[in-house]
Amino acid sequence: MNNNRLILIGLLIPAILMIPFSIVSFYTDFANRNPDPLSVTVDFGQNAYNAVEGKKAFEQYQCTGCHTIVGNGAYFAPDMTTVYKRIGENDAALSNFVLSGAPAKGMPPMRDRGMKEDDAYRITAFLKYTNMLDTNGWPGAGSWERDGNPDSTPAQNLDFSDIWQVVAGIVFINILIFAILFAYENKKNDEGA
Amino acid sequence: MTRGLETMSEYPSKIKTRKYFIAAILLFIVQMLLGLVMSVNFLARDSSTNLPLTFDILKALHLNLMVLWLLLGFIGGLYYLLPVETGRDIKHPRLIDMQFWFLLLIGIGIIISEIFFTGRNWWLVEGREYLEAGRVWDLLLTAGLLSVVYNVIATILESKNKLSSPILVLAAGAIGSILMYVPGEIWFDSIVAAEYFRWWVVHYWVEASFELIAAGVIALILLAMTQVRREIIEKYLAIEVALILLTGIIGQGHHYYWIGTPGVWIFLGGLFSALQPVPLFLMVWSAYKDLKENKKPILNKVVLYMIIGATIGNFVGAGLWGFLHTLPQINFFTHGTQITSSHAHFATPGTYLLLVIGIAYLAIPEISGKLNFSQYRGKIGFWLLVIGFLNMIIALMIAGVIQVYQQRVEGLGFMSVQNTLLPYFGWRLIGGLIAFAGGLLIAYDLILISTIKVKVERNNINKEI
Repeated sequence: MNNNRLILIGLLIPAILMIPFSIVSFYTDFANRNPDPLSVTVDFGQNAYNAVEGKKAFEQYQCTGCHTIVGNGAYFAPDMTTVYKRIGENDAALSNFVLSGAPAKGMPPMRDRGMKEDDAYRITAFLKYTNMLDTNGWPGAGSWERDGNPDSTPAQNLDFSDIWQVVAGIVFINILIFAILFAYENKKNDEGA
Repeated sequence: MTRGLETMSEYPSKIKTRKYFIAAILLFIVQMLLGLVMSVNFLARDSSTNLPLTFDILKALHLNLMVLWLLLGFIGGLYYLLPVETGRDIKHPRLIDMQFWFLLLIGIGIIISEIFFTGRNWWLVEGREYLEAGRVWDLLLTAGLLSVVYNVIATILESKNKLSSPILVLAAGAIGSILMYVPGEIWFDSIVAAEYFRWWVVHYWVEASFELIAAGVIALILLAMTQVRREIIEKYLAIEVALILLTGIIGQGHHYYWIGTPGVWIFLGGLFSALQPVPLFLMVWSAYKDLKENKKPILNKVVLYMIIGATIGNFVGAGLWGFLHTLPQINFFTHGTQITSSHAHFATPGTYLLLVIGIAYLAIPEISGKLNFSQYRGKIGFWLLVIGFLNMIIALMIAGVIQVYQQRVEGLGFMSVQNTLLPYFGWRLIGGLIAFAGGLLIAYDLILISTIKVKVERNNINKEI
């Protein structure tokens, strides 16, 4: 029973502490100054689109399957938290980019995936909202700042003529791994004999 | 181990767990295939848009199939280990079959909705990392897992033996993994709150609930294979579990540095997650001590390989590789880079994959009545997995360091940094291919062991049922 009491203490103390910590995280007097997503909107034509609809569209089209948002997601494509700033706070340019994609860099035109203009506008509102988040300074001042244009560097494919450093690395690391393997297997054989 | 065949006839429901392990290892093969295609996408980016399945769908399935086979492996292991510990057969043996087909059906549903409904229906595809499966599948999965917990608790309540700590830990882990699925299902307008509670699912699964299941299963396997005194193993287990919870629950804070939550988490998360490797080291230490003290010869060497591998993989992959980038001062630069990817490809296969294969190698030979199976394929498969994954991990780690320096320190654009990383992504693909060969060999071996049966014993078992 002593063991179980130990486990119970280990569970209950931090679990109870999580309650005030979670309250502090969202109680507005302490929490970071994040905007209300309902009040963040972008205007296209006659309509205003808000960031809450945008969040749902962002999830539905599985944007984090390639991108990251606040650093969470996949690392195939750049982080989207501050993309609104990088593209010069240009709503039309951002929604156009979402719809037409960058096929050479691996991004399908979202139009082909069934995305309508409305959803692209909603996602633009969502990205405007994430740009306003107080993320304790992440992702770093100066990093990824650009002139308001999408990244113009073309994607390259692997060039086999210039990889000797990596080949050397592969050989070196695998000699180390095989040393572990042989040391383990031989030690066992000695014990067995 | 030697009592295998006797316990088979004593607890006939054990034979039903075989399909869980076979399905788990086959799903793992599919997951690796998806990973290989994705690593090709990294090398030639336009292949993502030219192939029928784009990167995001492959990535979603890569994660969701992993969760599914992990759950299948754990549930199979739970049903396999429970009867001996409680001294009685599973309460509702028919549920074991039904749950298996139900979970498999959910898996097929997830695959179909990812391929055909991504972007078209929020109820079928939700697209949040690790929770890509839509609401419909979330709810069905919760229902399926609840019925597993019901079956486990019903069995434990009518236990003939006194409740042992490993069983309590396993049950707590199973209940915890279902309870923690719920916060991820609540809709929040704010991305901050949504991410806050999405991490409750992901973090409290892999760093609390699943970790409890892993600790419990390792303890039970050591109990079954060695002659170390039960009190020693249980004492160590209790200390490990208490420490895992004490550090892991507030260690959650390392996900809250940069998502828009207050700075208090930078202190809390940094402090508690720096302590998280301690219980993982204790797991290595106790397993080492137990195996050294043990005088009983261990016949099933493959299980031994997997268990030692799992404890070391857990400590180095989850503990050290996590500690490398868990401190906020470091994580500010490494968050969202390939370093996280390196950590994930060390911690998850290093702990949970080896553990599931370990239980499979414990269970399937006994269930199939083939305790003296030839072990060289399992050993070679283990080493191929180790070599493959270590190559992948090291390649990703080097790629991550370069990415952090160029992108986060020097401020280069994303695409030009990715072009620099290409050779390392090539290295990662080589590692993936080696690991894939190991996975194939182990799957082939397990299926081979499970299909060749000793006929007489099989008939006896059938009569008992």
